[in-house]
Amino acid sequence: MASATEVLERPGREERIAPPWTPSVQGWTARLLVLIGIFGLVLLVTATRPNFWQERIALAAIWAIIGLSLNIVLGYVGQVSLGHHAFVGIAAFVSAWYVTEQAGCTIDKCSFGAFATGTVLAALSGAAAAGLLGLIALRIRGLYLALITLAYGFVAERSIFEIPSLTRGGAGMPATRPDGWATGEEFAYLCFIFLALVIYVDWRFLRSKVGRAVLSIKHSEPVAASYGINVTYYKVLAFTMSGLFAGIAGSLFAFHSQNVVSNDFSFANATLWVLMVVVGGLGNRVGVVIASAFFALFPFLLEMWTWFAHQIEDLGRAMGNVTIVVGAILALFTIISYPGGIGEQVSPISRWLSGKRFSLHPDGHHDEPEVEKKPPSEGGLLSKLGLHKNNDEKETTQLAALGRAVETPVVDARTGETARPETARKPSSEDETPDVWGALTRTKSEDGN
Amino acid sequence: MGAVLEVKDMGIRFGGLVALKDVTIEVPEWEIVGLIGPNGAGKTTLFNCIMGAYQPNTGTVAYRERDISLLPTHRRVALGIGRTFQNIGLVRGLTVLENCLVAQHPRIPYGAASALLGTPRSYSDERRARAYAMEVLDFLDLTRFAGSHLEGLPYGTLKLIEIATVLATDPDLLLLDEPSSGMGPDEAHALGERLIELRKTLNLTVLMIEHHVPLVVGVCDFVYVLNFGQLLTQGRPQEVQNHPEVIAAYLGGEAVKEATTDVPA
Repeated sequence: MASATEVLERPGREERIAPPWTPSVQGWTARLLVLIGIFGLVLLVTATRPNFWQERIALAAIWAIIGLSLNIVLGYVGQVSLGHHAFVGIAAFVSAWYVTEQAGCTIDKCSFGAFATGTVLAALSGAAAAGLLGLIALRIRGLYLALITLAYGFVAERSIFEIPSLTRGGAGMPATRPDGWATGEEFAYLCFIFLALVIYVDWRFLRSKVGRAVLSIKHSEPVAASYGINVTYYKVLAFTMSGLFAGIAGSLFAFHSQNVVSNDFSFANATLWVLMVVVGGLGNRVGVVIASAFFALFPFLLEMWTWFAHQIEDLGRAMGNVTIVVGAILALFTIISYPGGIGEQVSPISRWLSGKRFSLHPDGHHDEPEVEKKPPSEGGLLSKLGLHKNNDEKETTQLAALGRAVETPVVDARTGETARPETARKPSSEDETPDVWGALTRTKSEDGN
Repeated sequence: MGAVLEVKDMGIRFGGLVALKDVTIEVPEWEIVGLIGPNGAGKTTLFNCIMGAYQPNTGTVAYRERDISLLPTHRRVALGIGRTFQNIGLVRGLTVLENCLVAQHPRIPYGAASALLGTPRSYSDERRARAYAMEVLDFLDLTRFAGSHLEGLPYGTLKLIEIATVLATDPDLLLLDEPSSGMGPDEAHALGERLIELRKTLNLTVLMIEHHVPLVVGVCDFVYVLNFGQLLTQGRPQEVQNHPEVIAAYLGGEAVKEATTDVPA
């Protein structure tokens, strides 16, 4: 019995709760320097490239926002949206319509206030459109929801995108960039600011009770509900958040192209966006941003390869189509060989940057949980309960504080004896009468309830 | 004091299958009540009806004399009913500690807007929730698993972790669905001790589905037996375990006579 006592004895609290590992000051400095280096490099490239590259980098930032938007639906909620071009498109038109038709921006002049208001309106309209989809998603999921989103996208293409007063038909709705942010470089910085904002909100989303609720709903709705989570609310909230990000991206896209035409928001784009989130790694913020930027820049990178561009021209294909083929191949490759996507490949670095130890595996430096070794049973309920003596004092005081009488006679499963835990030592002779069914009485608590 | 949980005339049908019919059970304050019955008897269905996962065709559920039949599940949880699942209701992909945080969801006061903006309040609330989660884990001696992912943990440990997460919802009434499944006899005994310890220290009332007979007999104050969706019998554990109809239900009708003579008194 002595060995059992040792196992069940609780060591001091300090021993068991080891403080989490944190980097030293030098460690933090190194991480900060690397972070500044990465951001500095991006900004340096943006600042030194010619104008057409700056435009493309701005587009990459916009696609990263779209990727993060889709990542909420795909990665966090676990549903497929094939209609994201509808949210982005609606928002782009709303933004362009506001600055041109309502705020009176001309082709060469537009105030920052008009841009800001237009973007807020766009974000809200995107959120509303996606919130509607969220309400549908309460009833339908999986393949059928994917079909509904597909239909949603096509309906938007054929109806909303063809309202002349909103879209000006095929000619497109102009959206002049705000004063002070009009050049490619300035606009790229503006897009970076919005991307940073979206990343921050997305980070808070996932790290707070909201993200945990959404992840648990993805895992199992009954389980989430049994943890007290309002499934309806958080599902619609997640879709709305996704639409909000898509709306911001749509507005930026409008000012990026400066003339919004409905052809920019096609089903092909929606497909490509889904592919890029898969390649980036579902639910992985860093991976999705990298993959989105890659897919946004890919056609331009291809263009630089003049030999390839010539071959493609001969075939009469545009670069965008090549991107979607490459995207599909990469997505297949990701799903089969690297299910974590780009995000998992870079995760040792991102984990290190976020203040963990450098390791190639997520749990690399966690202590392996040992499987608790129980001693062979030497008695029934009572003999083990007796070993909890150390805690009885604590429990008694807790109970006394709760105003209850401590009167819970405990009964041995084998002998049928009623005894207090303190006297939990039974004569060894009684061990020889095994009684599997354990005929015994469990005296009811006599606390007057 | 009245009963913590009163289920009256509960009935539910799935198409032509009558899963539950006129089930009336009562769980008085501070008791550990067992719910046993052969596979397919409707035990888990009854839990689902109590939690609001299913909408029963007939009957009511009252919690502390308040009718909760029309409340959605999360509202029932907020009232203090905690439930575990037969096949472990933990969120895969989250760590043990994070699971305890998920379970505290309704108790964490900050709202969605505050979460997304990252206000100081959301941080302090998170810290408090984290400390509470560690306390719960400490209470069940699970602290060393706090940072672990669920993959690779033994089934019995997962069952215990699930109980920890349910305790983190701060329940008054625990509904445990086969808490000892996947555990060896020793672990099941330890679990029985834990339940009694929990009841003592946290003032819990427990309704549990359980197949492990020594555990039922050892810890339950009262037992209800379900068979084919109907209450077969009820009573003290030792009365129920020798009840001929119960033995018949478990072993099949023909075995009754044989069994009644064989079972030790």
